[in-house]
Amino acid sequence: MTLAAPDDRLTQMNSGNALELRGITKMFGALAAIADVTLTVRPGERRAVLGSNGAGKTTLFNCITGDFPATSGIIRFFGEDVTAFPPYERIRRGLRRTYQISSLFAGLTVMDNVYLACRGVSRNRYSLLRPRSDDALVHAAETLVEAVNLTAVRDQLVGELAYGQQRQLEIALALSGAPRFILFDEPAAGLSPTERRDLVTILTSLPSHIGYIIIEHDMDVALRVVESVTMMHNGRIFKEGLPSEIEDDPEVQELYLGGGHG
Amino acid sequence: MAPARAPDRLWFERIPMAWWIVVAVLLTMPLFANNFWLFQVMGWSFILGTIAVSLTFLAGYGGMVSLLQMSIAGLAGYMVAILGPSGTTSISLGLAWWIVLPAAFLIAAVFATLCGALAVRTEGIYTIMITLAIAAAFFYFTRQNYTIFNGYSGFNLVLPPQLFGVNWRDPAPFYYLCLGCAALCYGAVVYITRSPFGLALQGVRDNPRRMAALGFNVTAHRVAAHALASVFASVGGILLVWQNAQIAPGTIGIPAAIDILVVAVIGGIRRPLGAFVGAFIYVILQVFSPDILGTFGFSAERFKLIIGLGFLAVVLFSPDGVLGLWDRWRARRARRVDPLTGAPR
Amino acid sequence: MDKFAKTNPAWALVIALVVVAFLWLVLAPWPTELEAAIGRKRVFLNALLGGITLGALYFLVASGFTLIFGLLRIVNLAHGSLFLLGGYIGYEVTNYTGSWFLAFPIVFVAVGLVGLAMQRFIFAYMEGEELRQTLVSIGLSVVLADVMLWYWGGQSYTTLAPGFLRGPMELPLISSINTTSGEAIFIRYPSVRIWILIAAIVIGVAMWLVLNRTSLGMLIRAGVDDREMLAASGVRIQLVFLAVFVFGAGLAGMAGVVGGTFQSLSPGEDTRFLLASLVVVIVGGMGSIVGAAIGALVIGIAEQMGLVYAPTYSVVFTFLIMAAVLAFRPQGFLGAGR
Ligand SMILES: Nc1ncnc2c1ncn2[C@@H]1O[C@H](COP(=O)(O)OP(=O)(O)OP(=O)(O)O)[C@@H](O)[C@H]1O
Ligand SMILES: [Mg+2]
Repeated sequence: MTLAAPDDRLTQMNSGNALELRGITKMFGALAAIADVTLTVRPGERRAVLGSNGAGKTTLFNCITGDFPATSGIIRFFGEDVTAFPPYERIRRGLRRTYQISSLFAGLTVMDNVYLACRGVSRNRYSLLRPRSDDALVHAAETLVEAVNLTAVRDQLVGELAYGQQRQLEIALALSGAPRFILFDEPAAGLSPTERRDLVTILTSLPSHIGYIIIEHDMDVALRVVESVTMMHNGRIFKEGLPSEIEDDPEVQELYLGGGHG
Repeated sequence: MAPARAPDRLWFERIPMAWWIVVAVLLTMPLFANNFWLFQVMGWSFILGTIAVSLTFLAGYGGMVSLLQMSIAGLAGYMVAILGPSGTTSISLGLAWWIVLPAAFLIAAVFATLCGALAVRTEGIYTIMITLAIAAAFFYFTRQNYTIFNGYSGFNLVLPPQLFGVNWRDPAPFYYLCLGCAALCYGAVVYITRSPFGLALQGVRDNPRRMAALGFNVTAHRVAAHALASVFASVGGILLVWQNAQIAPGTIGIPAAIDILVVAVIGGIRRPLGAFVGAFIYVILQVFSPDILGTFGFSAERFKLIIGLGFLAVVLFSPDGVLGLWDRWRARRARRVDPLTGAPR
Repeated sequence: MDKFAKTNPAWALVIALVVVAFLWLVLAPWPTELEAAIGRKRVFLNALLGGITLGALYFLVASGFTLIFGLLRIVNLAHGSLFLLGGYIGYEVTNYTGSWFLAFPIVFVAVGLVGLAMQRFIFAYMEGEELRQTLVSIGLSVVLADVMLWYWGGQSYTTLAPGFLRGPMELPLISSINTTSGEAIFIRYPSVRIWILIAAIVIGVAMWLVLNRTSLGMLIRAGVDDREMLAASGVRIQLVFLAVFVFGAGLAGMAGVVGGTFQSLSPGEDTRFLLASLVVVIVGGMGSIVGAAIGALVIGIAEQMGLVYAPTYSVVFTFLIMAAVLAFRPQGFLGAGR
């Protein structure tokens, strides 16, 4: 498919891609969790990464954000080589992510969690002055809390939230600041049908310049919110295409959808 | 960011009655307490508490249990003795207080930052090991070095400046000096924990990986916390050298470093108040151990044994210290009175 | 080794040159110019031997510490107290029975039992709570220190080695050449220290062999690498833990007997040896026996050389070594990555 084919002239100038992976490999001991993955995503593009358990999807995210440094390969984010950057440098450049297993601050309140996320990508991270109630970031945090329907529990400790609410908060953290590209790791897992609908609404109503990659086992969610699909298996990409093509592909049916039930 | 609960009550109405009583007692204490109590018991409690609160800040909020805080306090104290006037005129420079004090804070902060940078290269229990090793190295160094630290004997006759014509080592002025410094440090820690820096520090404690994925430089944050904590430790260290009018390697030895940890843990390391409660208990036990131990037929020297056992008991049975015990006791009482009123958060 | 030489030829060359220079310094008689510059060779050799034998003592203390950490993940800050306790008990036993040798098994059992009580009745109840265990061990060290002070007082004790070990012993190392007769003068060194060095090497090698060549060692190493797996495999892991803790404690106690013979015992020696263990394992790498040996040797030699050639700054050397290791290799020479 030509969907993700990079425009060569642009690549040479400032690379018109939001994300560009070249030959990313990640070894855990002797195990190659991902092997030689090459992938490009245009700005504003929304893509699903599908694959069976252990295919290396989460590991791919970890390499992109720098949570685990890739063993080899090059990562470019909006044209800039970020391969050697620590995670926080990549985040400050507009990359965001959610975690498959919620990774929140259980001892802080919902507002504090979101406020931290907003603060992390702004200036004055080391400020010793308490924010005033008309602080712009407090407002931003309030807006985000509202966007994910958590206003009712904004002052509760995160550890006390219901599972679905924690998943919502996970998404709020990824929307903080001015994201340019977001990685969603199975955001719908474990959500109720209503919560799923809310999630789809949030994803589809994101400003169009924000691109994302979503890992999702639920085809209904995944294929409704993306315009392209990448299939992974055993740490490798084996197919890319439009949602409709992937849905009908017999190989995919057998490898992924079939495997999912077994 | 606090929720706008009960807007009809003014801020001072929200402070519980017990606090007002404590404040009133502390402020009027020189009227009814004797000099020994003011200078030795209360003064020392405030000093120990101030040094310990720097550990509370690092450990309770930052998750970094550092045994270096006494060394940092001691370094600040040493700097006051070395840069300012002291009995050891061959070494002391005798500079004016307004140069000495900032320089002492600065040097202690630089030292804390460097040590912090070493300590945060590893995590968890390694921090204790490394800071303990550095503290010990610093202790042995001050003992061996005669050109700067005057070796075994250290410095004596280190007196506070006679600002505003007050002799700050007189019991009542010294009491108020210590009270003021302790209150400032306590207030600062409480205030900072709700500031962006303090919140982020708690985030780093709970989930460093996520903090990095939110754009925070976790390592730099930890080092900055060490630097900030050094300010509180330095305040305590400078007061300590003024109180004793001397400083020597023994002041910063390993037992002293461990005492700070003991104080903070006994009081409750999760809360700034715990440092001061722990310090008060420690000082009371230390000062009155001859009487207390005597009644049980022990020699007065067994103070350390009592402290050690108390520390063990706290770690084993009440990880949030005496304050935690107090909370639980109150919660149980409240439950007995009214089964609908849960423990207040 | 081979791989290292191939990948870093420059470093390998530097290391080789240093080793050759060092061997020359030790083996050859020194020319007068050199002696004029840095002092007598006898002084150098004595400092070196002092460092090596001190390193042997450090190794005896630190190997138990590192073993306990490696398997149980307990940073036992009461390890120094076990050392001092062993030293005191060894002193008493030697005095009562008149036999220095008898002190070792008795101390091993006695201090081992203390370790058994600590692990069985305290640490076992807070498995996995590393910070709490460390705090408890600090509390234990405070209590033990005061109990020992209570019983043995503040004075210092030295345990006497048996007569035939007390004298000096001639080593096949040339100290200097007699200018008139041209005869080589050999270095003389307290024989008890040499024997302790040999004993430490034997114990170290034995530990290494047990760890690397027996099924018990395989179990322990498997535990170091993957505790969950070992626990899941149905091995009675608590028993292995207990055995390792008792062994480590007993070893610290025996080291105390050695320390009491080498130097002296007094309150404060517990912290000194705890710190030595800390620095040794920080430098060598937590949980590694070979690392402890290397670390002990480096720290022992640095300390003694420092004492002889730069007395005011000898601590600084030790500290700088530790700081450098932390800065460039936080896990220590032979420590596994975090
Ligand atoms: N930290 C780690 N250490 C060792 N192996 C790991 C680690 N993280 C992942 N792996 C391995 O890498 C492979 C890929 O794991 P990954 O979590 O990326 O899969 P995934 O596609 O996200 O699967 P799932 O759908 O279950 O989330 C797996 O075999 C896993 O066991
Ligand atoms: Mg996954």
